[in-house]
Amino acid sequence: MTQLGVVLNGGDAAQSEAGRLASLLATFQHHEALLAEVERTAATGGFCWDTTTDEMTCTREVYRIFELDTATPMTLQRLIAQIHPDDLPLFQDMIDRARRHASGFEYQLRIRPSHLTVKHLQLHGRRRDGAFAQMQYIGAIQDVTQRRTAEETLRNMRCELARLARVSSLGTLSASITHEVNQPLSGIMTNASTCLQMLADEPPDVDGARETAQRTIRDCERACEVIARLRALFAKQRGKTESLDLNAVISEVLSLSWSELQRRRVTLRTDLAECLPVVAGDAVQLQQVILNLLLNAAEAMSGIEDRPRQILIRTQPEAGNRVRLSVQDAGIGFEPPDAERLFEPFYTTKSGGMGIGLSVSRSIIESHRGRLWAQPNAGGGATFAFSIPARANTEHLENR
Amino acid sequence: MAEASIVAIVDDDVSMQRSLPALVKKLGFKVRAFLSAEDFLASDCIDQTKSMILDVSMPGMSGPDLQRELTRRGYRIPIVFITGQRDEELRRQLLADGAVECLFKPFNATALLKALNAAMK
Repeated sequence: MTQLGVVLNGGDAAQSEAGRLASLLATFQHHEALLAEVERTAATGGFCWDTTTDEMTCTREVYRIFELDTATPMTLQRLIAQIHPDDLPLFQDMIDRARRHASGFEYQLRIRPSHLTVKHLQLHGRRRDGAFAQMQYIGAIQDVTQRRTAEETLRNMRCELARLARVSSLGTLSASITHEVNQPLSGIMTNASTCLQMLADEPPDVDGARETAQRTIRDCERACEVIARLRALFAKQRGKTESLDLNAVISEVLSLSWSELQRRRVTLRTDLAECLPVVAGDAVQLQQVILNLLLNAAEAMSGIEDRPRQILIRTQPEAGNRVRLSVQDAGIGFEPPDAERLFEPFYTTKSGGMGIGLSVSRSIIESHRGRLWAQPNAGGGATFAFSIPARANTEHLENR
Repeated sequence: MAEASIVAIVDDDVSMQRSLPALVKKLGFKVRAFLSAEDFLASDCIDQTKSMILDVSMPGMSGPDLQRELTRRGYRIPIVFITGQRDEELRRQLLADGAVECLFKPFNATALLKALNAAMK
């Protein structure tokens, strides 16, 4: 009995030990699965690297980022093989620093897991101080490709919009253009005055008047040249035609003009139709128009102190398979008879403006087979709106 | 030395270079024209200059630069500025700094004559 008891007791112990192990294993597996999921979500993997033996332990996400199979043990050489050739010196530098017992490192480099893909990685490493004779680093590798691509896109867009803003607002150019045009005009006026004086002489100085009239013609020709140069400056390349979600175009403009609007203490509300037909057009040109309308609206409210400086930007589908965008402000507004003059080139109410923005905007909208108009609001301010046709056989984009 | 009697015109623009001296002459003044402030300073004309028609923006030395240089050299020549820049702030500044007048291009003969008469007083 005693022996049996011992056996039984031993069996109980073994069983409870097995149960404990099973439970531990379950917890461990649960944690490992959780870790893998977190790593996957954060696109970040962990590693431990022994610089004396070059042995590496990596979590699953590192294998996934480097597109290596988990069956083969990870080595430094396997990683090096994936590094973008241009960044190999950088990687070598990191290794050298680690071998020189640096306390930590942080590197950004690219890998090329296949001929077609390049990934941007962020590497953090920290020397592991402890009871180990070897030199170990632990750290994290994050795949930041998406962020990098987004940053690059945004940067390119900012550049392009800044360029367009310069061309469309012409703040800086307007001064030199005025100067260029005024010089020959001034010559014309002066010559005409001289001419009149000569003809008023007794007897009239006909030869002198003739010569002066000739000079007037030369100045007229010069003025025409200036205008021709201006036209060339504004001549746009033919716009691209692509399928566009107008709401997305607006979002891009808003993300870029946000700080400018804030600076002008303007609050912006949006009322974007959720299911807007796709339009065909040139995104950059339409951005230019929207930006121009937004900045005009902000400008119109710059002197307003007795009510909120608020802009409402709205999109809505229109009858006849069209899409309408409107920008409503609470600014100084305009008198109804001026509604069409606003779009004439060189008509401006702004002290620093050239009066080009709206006429350029209208020509862009017309090249999209649309129309652009303005109306005063009942309660003050103005609304500028354009309507352009939706793409034929329109499909609907899910917005936001 | 002969008494100063000349209207000196300094403007780098070819249109003005061709047209303005003829008009000023026609309005009854003696005229010398220069394409730059530097040309004027290098000329023998300064002492005979009774008044000036001076372009504001020129490559190299600008109109106001020339005004300051003349003041530095002890000359008090009445100046009528002309400019292609319709800038009221600039005009106020120039008048405050002692200019007789500042005309925006294009200006008419009547305005020019009025300014010149004031400058030649």
